[in-house]
Amino acid sequence: MKRTLLLSVAAGLLALAGCTTVNTVENAQKEGQRNMISDQRVITDTSLARKVAIVGVNSAMTPGGLLKAQVEIENHTHSTQHFLYHFEWFDANGMQVNNIISASVPEQIEGKESKFIYSVAPNPDCRDFRVKFIEAN
Amino acid sequence: MKTKLILLPLLAAVPAFFTGCATDAHYVQTGDKEQIVSLGQINIQDYATAANDAIKDLLASGALDHVANPPALLELSRIVNNTSQQVDTDLLTKKISIALLQSGKAVTKSVDAKATGLQQENEFLNDQKSTRLPDFTLSGKIIETVDRAGSTRRTTYSFQLSLNDTKAGVQVWEGEKEIGKQGTRSSVGF
Repeated sequence: MKRTLLLSVAAGLLALAGCTTVNTVENAQKEGQRNMISDQRVITDTSLARKVAIVGVNSAMTPGGLLKAQVEIENHTHSTQHFLYHFEWFDANGMQVNNIISASVPEQIEGKESKFIYSVAPNPDCRDFRVKFIEAN
Repeated sequence: MKTKLILLPLLAAVPAFFTGCATDAHYVQTGDKEQIVSLGQINIQDYATAANDAIKDLLASGALDHVANPPALLELSRIVNNTSQQVDTDLLTKKISIALLQSGKAVTKSVDAKATGLQQENEFLNDQKSTRLPDFTLSGKIIETVDRAGSTRRTTYSFQLSLNDTKAGVQVWEGEKEIGKQGTRSSVGF
């Protein structure tokens, strides 16, 4: 009985040792207005979606007339999560525009952290975008 | 009988285990989840990440839009290598120049000797001096810092880039991307 209890405590401590969460503070009355856009999601990796959730997507135009997209993500777990993401861009005809901007980017998010990832369209003809997330090994 | 029942599935699992460990050669995509995280050197993924970050930051800044005759003419200047390894800086600058050309925001000055010679010949034959001077130059530095604690090593590569306005002689955009890798040895996946 004692041994089981000790083992349980040890396991609990080990599990907690890998957990670091993030505390945040921000201004309550927001000056800036985010142009939130409705999104369409396809979830095939429920494990990743449960851990790192997409909170919302907003977009804006850069001074040079390029579409800028920003995605807010949140880590629902207490441990650091590693994943890859990449943006795909499409022109007015729905044709994909390949560019280095579409390269996969390794990213990590701390436990319970909320953060933003963004990208800028490769050229002014781009109208739509898609973001893909892949869980790291 | 019981021992036999346990032993048989175990024996069957051994070949499956070893087959799973073997990694036959196969084509991979740059930036896939199987990428090798090399501790002591800059790999192709690091260049791609640094270039990606610089391009989106540069395009979003609108720094290239303030020219009299768009698209802006850009000349790639020197990228100083302050790392312990030999680096082909084209792995970084080429990605940036391709993306800028595709964006329609800038064209880069040709470094092809044949093209430059023909341009000068054209100017001579047409009796005109129309060589356009670059609006901007792109310069930078790659710095390596190494920290050690026991057998654990952390290598950080800083990719610093500056866009210099040739008329005003000022830096109109600067970007820095730090890529840190930590561990005891290189590994597959990150």
